Amino acid sequence: MRSLRRIGRWGPGLLLVLPSIILIVLFVYGLIGWNIKTSLGTQPVLNGPSGVRNYTNLWHEERWIRDLKNLGVFTVVFIVGSLAMGAIMALLLDKGVKGEGVFRGVYLFPMAVSFIAAGIVWRWLLNPSSGLNLIFDKLGLDVLKNQWWQTRSWGMAAMAIPAVWQMSGYIMALYLAGFRGVPEELREAARMDGAAEWKVYRHVVFPHLRPVTLSALVILGHISIKVFDLILAVSGKQGITETPAVYMWDLIFQASNRPKGAAIATLLLLGVAVLILPYLVFTVRSERRA
Amino acid sequence: MSTVTAPPPAAVVVERRPRPVPKGRQRRFFTAGKLAALLVFIVFFLTPVYLLLLTSFKSLAEADPASAWTWPKTVTLDAWREAWDKLGPALGNSFKLVIPATIASTMLGSLNGYVLSKWRFPGADLVFTLFLFGMFIPYQAVMIPLALLYNDLGFPHGLPRLILAHVVYGIPITTLIFRNYYATVPTELIEAARMDGAGMYRTYLSVILPTSAPAFVVAAIWQFTSIWNDFLFAVFLITNPAAWPVTVALNNTAGSQVTPFPVQMAGALIASIPTLVVYIILGRYFMRGLMAGALKG
Amino acid sequence: MADIVLDKLTKRFSNGFQAVTDLSLEIADGELLVLVGPSGCGKTTALRMIAGLEDITSGELYVGGQRMNDVLEKDRDMAMVFQSYALYPHMTVAQNIGFSLKLGGVAKADIRARVHHTARLLGLEDLLDRRPKQLSGGQRQRVAMGRAIIREPQAFLMDEPLSNLDAKLRVQMRGEIAALQKRLGVTTVYVTHDQIEAMTMGDRVAVLKAGELQQVGTPSAIYDGPVNLFVAGFIGSPPMHLMEGQIGRGSDVAGLTVRLGSITVPLPDELVTDRGLARWVDRRVIVGVRPEDVRPAHDGDGRTHLAVTVERVEAIGASLLAYFTLDAPPVQAESIAAAASGEQLEHIPLVGHEGAVVCATFEPRSGLRANDKVEVTIDPRRLYFFDPATEDTIH
Repeated sequence: MRSLRRIGRWGPGLLLVLPSIILIVLFVYGLIGWNIKTSLGTQPVLNGPSGVRNYTNLWHEERWIRDLKNLGVFTVVFIVGSLAMGAIMALLLDKGVKGEGVFRGVYLFPMAVSFIAAGIVWRWLLNPSSGLNLIFDKLGLDVLKNQWWQTRSWGMAAMAIPAVWQMSGYIMALYLAGFRGVPEELREAARMDGAAEWKVYRHVVFPHLRPVTLSALVILGHISIKVFDLILAVSGKQGITETPAVYMWDLIFQASNRPKGAAIATLLLLGVAVLILPYLVFTVRSERRA
Repeated sequence: MSTVTAPPPAAVVVERRPRPVPKGRQRRFFTAGKLAALLVFIVFFLTPVYLLLLTSFKSLAEADPASAWTWPKTVTLDAWREAWDKLGPALGNSFKLVIPATIASTMLGSLNGYVLSKWRFPGADLVFTLFLFGMFIPYQAVMIPLALLYNDLGFPHGLPRLILAHVVYGIPITTLIFRNYYATVPTELIEAARMDGAGMYRTYLSVILPTSAPAFVVAAIWQFTSIWNDFLFAVFLITNPAAWPVTVALNNTAGSQVTPFPVQMAGALIASIPTLVVYIILGRYFMRGLMAGALKG
Repeated sequence: MADIVLDKLTKRFSNGFQAVTDLSLEIADGELLVLVGPSGCGKTTALRMIAGLEDITSGELYVGGQRMNDVLEKDRDMAMVFQSYALYPHMTVAQNIGFSLKLGGVAKADIRARVHHTARLLGLEDLLDRRPKQLSGGQRQRVAMGRAIIREPQAFLMDEPLSNLDAKLRVQMRGEIAALQKRLGVTTVYVTHDQIEAMTMGDRVAVLKAGELQQVGTPSAIYDGPVNLFVAGFIGSPPMHLMEGQIGRGSDVAGLTVRLGSITVPLPDELVTDRGLARWVDRRVIVGVRPEDVRPAHDGDGRTHLAVTVERVEAIGASLLAYFTLDAPPVQAESIAAAASGEQLEHIPLVGHEGAVVCATFEPRSGLRANDKVEVTIDPRRLYFFDPATEDTIH
């Protein structure tokens, strides 16, 4: 009888969540499984490989390696840029300025804009023969002119700029919340102990922010791996700006090579999993402890 | 008021140490520098908007990348009219998509968040982790199987497929938002309701739901924005151009020969207006929700 | 070591609220001065002005003879113990205590030595590698003290350091802090809302109400000679009983009497001349008497006996308090009620009452119970009289 009562305690909760569980299991994990199955099929090309070959062959491809490199450059610039800009903006706003609401509003609005819409204007801005280069020209800052995303090898760094434009506001909000979450008394105690303002930040505020930085890293990292529509909008389909996500798109829709595309998709998934899972487990477990 | 004081020591006012810089002067210096830096950032963020607006009012002839920054000699609304013609119906499609999807996914998120934070069951944490992982998957990985699954289920083509997809894939983030929010509601509140005789549903309706407004706002804004701005699902699941949401229609304004830049720019603005309006009106609640840790995970 | 002089310190916040008005105090070098008063009386604001955590709106602050108004808090060489302790959560106990030394550029070996010395002083040697969240409330409190002590500052500022501890620990720490302060000889300003803490710890006590200084003096001076109704009602536990009375001429005795409800108590001549009560004949006054001055009557004690029915008994171990009602109108000093809460509901008793509730102090083993009938007397030499209009003590 007692175990029945216990079930009565949490049973309704489980029931309420059950539809969502079913949907998620089906639409996420079920489809992932399907995807893996597809990735092991035979590719519709001459002497099409199949099975695990679909995966291993990739690593011999120049195109794949180039795509990975592009992704790497993009990710580093995107993450460092967003974190740095976000942190700086949060620092500037932390102590409060007049019109803080206006500043915050402007810094955050790019999140409301779609990558496609943003891509349309950044396409112009990052066009070597117009856009930002023109401004630099007019301002006499010729040294800053460059080929942007058409730069050989490092073009992806320029592609990260629109992404930083869209996400740094969100990072700023995270850091600002983090800063303000530090109890004022802790800062006062440090000041009474003789710390100048920058030391207060260094010894009291920043250590508080490690979890914020961690979650920001994770969020930015997974966006970076998935990014796709931004690249299409800014540069269109180009070798020089291709990433695994774009390659996959190409394979499935242009080349109709589903198995290979699915293989890349699975690899993307693995990449995200390696990044996310430890973080997830750590967060949920530390929440339970608290 | 009479005060009884102890015999005072001799208070000598002598400045024996050099005085540090008075606080006032130091502060003013800092603020000027800060303001300048903040304005530089403002320029960075608003430049694209400026360019969008500028170009959208130019005629096709004038819209040359080489003269991107020069003011139009003739201001014309042609681009806007054309963009509206092309994108108007798509806007309607977007609304038909976003509103049901947002309502459904926030409701589900609220119920899930409630159970996972307050009315737990064994394995709740595992379920939550599984949900969260669903938030991070690259959608490219499930696109094809998704279409095939829909076909197998005989699910109606077009908009319903898109709505369901967004609802399902929105569950993780809305659940996260609500769970984090409800975690801040004192458990004593729930316990008091239970002592008063309320069961799970009653507690939700009478105690939890009324106080959920901030979380609903954050979740709704996030979902509205994500779903409105989504491209991948839309372009994949909606094959009929007449049913395209505005992001796909926008992407399609890229002409084959000559890209009609002013139309594109005007289109980008038109496509962004609804989310910007939502953001402007409800933005401060969104900020408040963010600051309260609704999206910390 | 330094003396602290506050000269008409005033603090007005940007929303117009004036937390402290014209506060003037002189704290001698090495003295422990307690700022006491109900919540919101401005004591913490005053402390924070001394610390430099709040700007001074007007008035002057001198420490060790130097004007401190514009000096940054980090340069004032004062150590503060916060009510919430404000320990750095990501640092160990040792790092917490030694932080100020590290900021000051002291050599690591010296820091370690001094941290150990301070830890030994406070009994913290075994906890040096723990983090604050692993410590109990009392241990955290000691770490907060250690952080302050190690700096050997010119003043200690303590903001209700004991209010987060449980009662027994509080009593123990009271004595230890006071002893420590005497041993170190550092000028200390101590803020509390607990008047028992104030009375037991302070060399002198300053009572504040709504931002204004009511009275400052030694504990016994304040206890025996309150200058107004507020101080009289605030200091002392259980609090002084306050009720309306009327000074009159004795009918069958020479000299003056005071009528409390239906009883009349003759007043000794010395009292009358001492307090100048002659001016108050036939006038309404507020009368105060402390519970320990209402005692069981004895035959031949030469005092007026009151026959009362005990309504309630509180056995607090060292004595027995017997509660009864006198039919004199009680006085809930507006100032006390307002200062205590601001809510009108606060001084409406839970169970209706006519007349003033008075308690008399009995021997602990007198075996009194509710509904017993006893005779008590009020020591007339220990009566206090207050002007109903100004609430000042009549003298």
